[in-house]
Amino acid sequence: MGQNETAHAPTDDVSGETEEFDPIGTLTLIAIYFVILVLSWVYIYYIEFLGRDLIVVG
Amino acid sequence: MHIHAYEKIWLAASVLLILFLLGSVTYGAVGPGVAMVSDTEPTIDPGALDEDERFSEPRVEQVGENEYAAYVVARQFGFQPDPIVVPANSTVTFYVTSADVIHGFEVAGTNLNTMVVPGEVSEITVKTDEPAEYGLICNEYCGAGHHVMEGKVNVVSQAEFESSGGDGE
Amino acid sequence: MSEAIEAEQTFADKFPEEARIVRAALLSSFFALALGAIFGIIQTLHRTDVARIIPSTDYYTVLTAHGVFMVISFTIFFLVGLFTWAVVRSLDRPLLNTKITWTWYGLMAAGMTMTGVSILAGFVDSIDMSADVLFTFYAPLQAHPMFYAGLAVFIVGSWIAGADFFRTWLAWKREHPDERIPLQTFMVLTTMAMWYIASSAVAASVLIFLLPWSLGLIDQVNPTLTRTLFWFFGHPVVYFWLMPAYLLWYTVLPKIAGGRLFSDPLARVVFVLFLLLSTPVGIHHQYLDPGIAEGFKFISMTNTMFLLLPSLLTAFTVVASVEYGARQRGGSGLLGWLTDLPWRDPAFTGMMLAGLMFAAGGFSGMVNAGMNINYMIHNTIWVPGHFHLTVGTAVALTFMAATYWLWPQISNKPIYSRPIGLFQVVLWFIGMALMSNAMHAQGIMGVPRRTAEPEYSGFDYPTMFGGFEELNIQIAIGGTLLFVSTVLFIGNLVLTMGNPKVSGLAESLPPALSGPDDAPRVLDSLRLWVGIALTLVVLAYALPLAAIINRGGLLGPGVGTYPVWLVSTLDALAGAVTPLVGAVGDAAASLAEVVR
Repeated sequence: MGQNETAHAPTDDVSGETEEFDPIGTLTLIAIYFVILVLSWVYIYYIEFLGRDLIVVG
Repeated sequence: MHIHAYEKIWLAASVLLILFLLGSVTYGAVGPGVAMVSDTEPTIDPGALDEDERFSEPRVEQVGENEYAAYVVARQFGFQPDPIVVPANSTVTFYVTSADVIHGFEVAGTNLNTMVVPGEVSEITVKTDEPAEYGLICNEYCGAGHHVMEGKVNVVSQAEFESSGGDGE
Repeated sequence: MSEAIEAEQTFADKFPEEARIVRAALLSSFFALALGAIFGIIQTLHRTDVARIIPSTDYYTVLTAHGVFMVISFTIFFLVGLFTWAVVRSLDRPLLNTKITWTWYGLMAAGMTMTGVSILAGFVDSIDMSADVLFTFYAPLQAHPMFYAGLAVFIVGSWIAGADFFRTWLAWKREHPDERIPLQTFMVLTTMAMWYIASSAVAASVLIFLLPWSLGLIDQVNPTLTRTLFWFFGHPVVYFWLMPAYLLWYTVLPKIAGGRLFSDPLARVVFVLFLLLSTPVGIHHQYLDPGIAEGFKFISMTNTMFLLLPSLLTAFTVVASVEYGARQRGGSGLLGWLTDLPWRDPAFTGMMLAGLMFAAGGFSGMVNAGMNINYMIHNTIWVPGHFHLTVGTAVALTFMAATYWLWPQISNKPIYSRPIGLFQVVLWFIGMALMSNAMHAQGIMGVPRRTAEPEYSGFDYPTMFGGFEELNIQIAIGGTLLFVSTVLFIGNLVLTMGNPKVSGLAESLPPALSGPDDAPRVLDSLRLWVGIALTLVVLAYALPLAAIINRGGLLGPGVGTYPVWLVSTLDALAGAVTPLVGAVGDAAASLAEVVR
């Protein structure tokens, strides 16, 4: 494969030789990220923002 | 098109997350009733504020039972009136406009925050709580003296508000 | 395709003229980075009151210079250089006509010089020129005409660059009628298509309103209209900065990790989503603007939230590609593979740390996208805290890290010191972690962005995650580390340029695990996607723009003109600040007279 592999990507090389790869580590990492995102959002929106003085009502 | 099963799970989780965020914002709007600064006020001639009934004399006045209106002018580099005195435990609607460039109107550490654009009037209503003193700052760059543009919003007891003449000056 | 021969050839060997252009663009980019870093450190130390070596009125000149040099020159020069490399490399064919290429490079350099001079002249009182209007140049603050003219020339240069990429691709297509668009070229073309749509608005704003106004041909402009046109461009431009980083994460990072891209089709989907969704979202920068209906703001928020999708998908695909690399290298376990990655390689570690910071920036970005929660953070220092994670690290650190890999390919010169490179990228990460974290915390306290002196005389900020002063110290330390990191980067690159040329530096990029033939053909139909993107833009902007023009008129509801470039006026304004406290109204009214 040279510099222009994507232009001439031979299909057998791409799909043939590689068996299914299960990125379980990625799924784990991204699940942790998801939990952090949700918890941070709940804190910042429901506690920090909605709990402030001078609630804007109109 | 082949998509790995894990990636499908993540895609679904991502869409759920987005819906959860949109749901939160919608809850804030209909539950606690947080409304946005909007296009409710007509435009105004920023060069003729001294002929305007509301802004020629920036002030706070009572407009209903426990309801007050604060007419505020922002200009390089200060706010009028200063301080803005409003009564505690009441509903106050701020009408803020600019006499020159774009400014910000932010009561530091609270949710009271709006852009102030010349030619437009920002209308924003808040419920005040107990008496407190807040810093008021311009949070949009407005020229070389931007950093000195500050004021105060003083929430005072009803009695103190009335004894001060109730005009916010 | 004989591997033995091709593996010996670097990009510089195969395409020497193109390699020269890529180097020129990258060096212009890093020159801007160096300037931006100098203004960055002055600004950080001034704002935090550690060292105030300039008067506070000059702070805004520094701030304008930092913003424009970093997010216009540094990012976009890198982008055109990288894209030139990516198009030529992935099509494996030279550019059609390098005279055109040098023309756009020359226009961009000339335009940026004009704009840069107009900004820097703000430091010299004897020159009646200044552009202290910051990166957003909101009217009715007015810069010297050369500021706007330079921006226009720069943008036209970038348009010709895009045309250069499209023409080269069309030529390739005639030679390879039945082949899929190579992935890197696909990324370049979708990004440039997005750029044409986005930059049209700011070009219109500059050419129709701001430039004639600064020349005195028209008396006034509508501030809400020019502001809205700015943000029509101002949000997609952040993706314009980000897409080159994405290109590197998708196509170079997996290779450095020892693996290959997880999915070519999904990468294409992600770039198509950015083309479609980047532009119809700009109003989310105007959530707190009067004169724009709440409904338009809500629509903009919905679009913005869905724009999270391509980035979340990218997180998965890129991490999975890296995991594949780690497992190829013998990594095992649920997370144990993380130790089997080339962490000593500055290109790898830099890009990974950049991606990690981008994940953190995803959170503050969600908050920025939330409509009503903007009351809490709008125009506070939270916002620059956010974009120093995204453009300031995800983009900037990726560019620097990738340079450690790319520069040998385009120059045949090995990097002077990879250990210094590694130290440099880690230092950037630590500096930014300190600075950005403290900026977010101060933002929640209500500390504003874009001010020379965030401490006020009349009140104190509420104390939350540490006091205001403590957080200032964190910001100052973080900013200093970032400056040192930039100096190390530039120094390392300069020494690299002094290295002798060697052979054997060539590295090829492997194809994806799931290749392009797995992607539906329709993904490559650029006409279709551009058509849909334009439709979405019309849907998102036609009514708001009509409403804004209907309210204030094309040229605004009687708004005055406030040039920042008359030095005497500036001094008068600055001098008038103290007496203003008592008699704001009178003083300002007379000042307004002076200005007019």
